[in-house]
Amino acid sequence: MKLSFMLAARLGWVAVIVAGLGLGSARAYAGEMKLEALLVWGTNDAKSPNPKHKPVEAEVAKKLQALPFKWKNYFEVKRERFTLAEGETKDVTMSKVCVIKVVKLGDEKLEVSVFGKGKQVSKITQALPKNDMIVTGGDAENLTAWFVVLRQVD
Amino acid sequence: MNTEQQLKLQAFLDGELPEKEARDMANWIARDPDAAALQAELRNTRQALSGFEASLKLPESREFYWSKIQREIQRTERAERAKPATSPMLWWRRLLIPVTAVAVVAIAVLLALPSPGSRSSDVVTVLADPGALTFRDEKTGVTMVWLSYGAEKGLANGHSTSTLQ
Repeated sequence: MKLSFMLAARLGWVAVIVAGLGLGSARAYAGEMKLEALLVWGTNDAKSPNPKHKPVEAEVAKKLQALPFKWKNYFEVKRERFTLAEGETKDVTMSKVCVIKVVKLGDEKLEVSVFGKGKQVSKITQALPKNDMIVTGGDAENLTAWFVVLRQVD
Repeated sequence: MNTEQQLKLQAFLDGELPEKEARDMANWIARDPDAAALQAELRNTRQALSGFEASLKLPESREFYWSKIQREIQRTERAERAKPATSPMLWWRRLLIPVTAVAVVAIAVLLALPSPGSRSSDVVTVLADPGALTFRDEKTGVTMVWLSYGAEKGLANGHSTSTLQ
């Protein structure tokens, strides 16, 4: 009888720990999100003809190189940092013809729309945890490519 | 070029069209530079994506691999049969082990599970470009939207100077 009581008590403690950890993990990610948008040029050329272009950060390059594309080198054309509060929308101009609209829907969930020459070409709704990236891209001249990379920053 | 023509071209590239339609399509591609450009783009995309999934090979032959599993099952069954009758203490222990295991799994799942809005694998995409592709690599945490052709030629098809500068 004493043994059964002890085991029941142990089970009770396990249930309390599970419930506690469950409540802890259900916490909300409140507050602003710090984001960074990069306009990137993908090419097989070792150098960009534009001296203002610099190779993208190693972390970004590694992830882009892991994609099933043929380009070996990625150059940063433009970088924009911004913050988004819950429900806030921001338009970020990446080039003369390319603008992205980012909406923070809740927690880490974002809606990212890409506009080319004023026309919407894509919209993606997805959570963007730290270290993840949302990438939109397409062909550019001479078998190269453009990419718009969106990620969280500290 | 409308969406139906683009889809038909994709079907042509996949070898899904009847002979006559395939002939008509080949003639059309030969005449229309836009159609030829789309065909080249779709072909390039297919080549770029091919071979992305690596195959897994077993270090030993299939028969030998399964015979090892079979031997292990038989050995475990023999060991189970050889066990003596259980006492009340053992019965409680047996109960406690699966309950603890379930609790550990539940804790692991709860810790690994982000809050409801932050599930990165839930992707909703709306694309104006019918030839576009969306894919997600969970390993690197990258979601890619590739606009191959279509609605915005200025952005998705050439004119890099205006897109990138």
